[in-house]
Amino acid sequence: MTKRMWMVLISLLGLFLGTYLTLYKFGVIGTLACGVGSCERVQTSRWSVFLGLPVATWGIGFYVLMLALAIAGMQERFADSRRLSLAMMLLAGWGVVFTAWLNYLEGFVIHAWCEWCIGSATMVVILFALSVLDWRETRQPPADDITRA
Amino acid sequence: MANNKADAGKGRKPGGKPGGKPSVVKASKKASTTNRAFYLILGAIAVVGIAALAYVSTRPKDGVVANAVDSTLPPVQSSGYAMGNATAPIEVTEFGDFECPACGRFAVLTEPDIRKNLVETGKIRWRFIDYPLSMHKNTWQASRAAACADEQGKFWPFHDALYSTQDEWNGEVTNNPDKFMKQLGQKVGLNASQFNQCVDDKKTQAKIQAHLKLAERRQVSQTPTFVIGEKQFAGALTYDQFSKAVDDALAAAKATPKTGGDTAKNVPLTPAKKKG
Repeated sequence: MTKRMWMVLISLLGLFLGTYLTLYKFGVIGTLACGVGSCERVQTSRWSVFLGLPVATWGIGFYVLMLALAIAGMQERFADSRRLSLAMMLLAGWGVVFTAWLNYLEGFVIHAWCEWCIGSATMVVILFALSVLDWRETRQPPADDITRA
Repeated sequence: MANNKADAGKGRKPGGKPGGKPSVVKASKKASTTNRAFYLILGAIAVVGIAALAYVSTRPKDGVVANAVDSTLPPVQSSGYAMGNATAPIEVTEFGDFECPACGRFAVLTEPDIRKNLVETGKIRWRFIDYPLSMHKNTWQASRAAACADEQGKFWPFHDALYSTQDEWNGEVTNNPDKFMKQLGQKVGLNASQFNQCVDDKKTQAKIQAHLKLAERRQVSQTPTFVIGEKQFAGALTYDQFSKAVDDALAAAKATPKTGGDTAKNVPLTPAKKKG
């Protein structure tokens, strides 16, 4: 599978994860499934809300955007689009920065870990790595040009 | 070899020209198989994800276990901290621990709706009784401080402030919770010298011990636990579950004349003043 296909799959997984945590935050789901860690301590802390919205809801926005970009990237007309590739990399980069901040809060401020947050952080890092590889490829001339040369 | 790039990760439509070389046809087949695998996995994730979300948001909440209140249990002797109309038809008692995350979640997410829709409308009277669990290092300090705040008529603002800042004073964060309690007291608008003295003297220790004893004698085993009418619910409830339990209790109260059984209704009521 191509990198952009993987990005679509991971973004979709992240979207479901974000929706799950948002439903919890809005009281639709009674309790969180949390085998290890202290998900509820993290999710009920004051850091679980950012600019008036649950952090998980911002996560939904991130994954929806990433999903849309990755799906667009699978279309033939955007196959070699450097702009799209750059947009994905910048978005994923922002995701990494935001996630790093959240993980810092979990480890050093809240002193509790949420396995769902760690799962999301892992996906964001993978998305970023894929987007960097994708961007590097768009910077290279097409393979058939290299063959001709 | 355009197909090289398609395979390398670009969204370029894979496939070779009609009548191309066998290697191109092979690559085309490979790309086609890849696409099929992608859409299969995508479909599987979508179906499983949607089904899982639908399940968790509509499932009956297994955690809701209502037990009839044991009539042989001693009546509640402590007044705890009450809010709402003393003549409300139903009284609901919460046994809670200030450091318990589930209690915190309930207090932050669910309790505001309960206060607005059930307490302020006179449907229920709400009572909180401490049940400090031994596993929580700073919960006693929090309970004592809340009792000190009660002396100045500000238990409920302090209660709310404690739950919304749980991550700042819990046992994993600080070894000096009293310092935080004093700062919180100031934020809530308490008389600082009186409050700090009360905290330092552990003046309210006996009250909290009485609350703990009461919870133990009533066989409360976890926090939060709610006594709603004739039923005792262990574990946090969603607003809908809570509201339904109140409606059931109201219906039962109407149907059955009060006989003086050991229910939360027998909790001695404090004077009708609304604290906080």
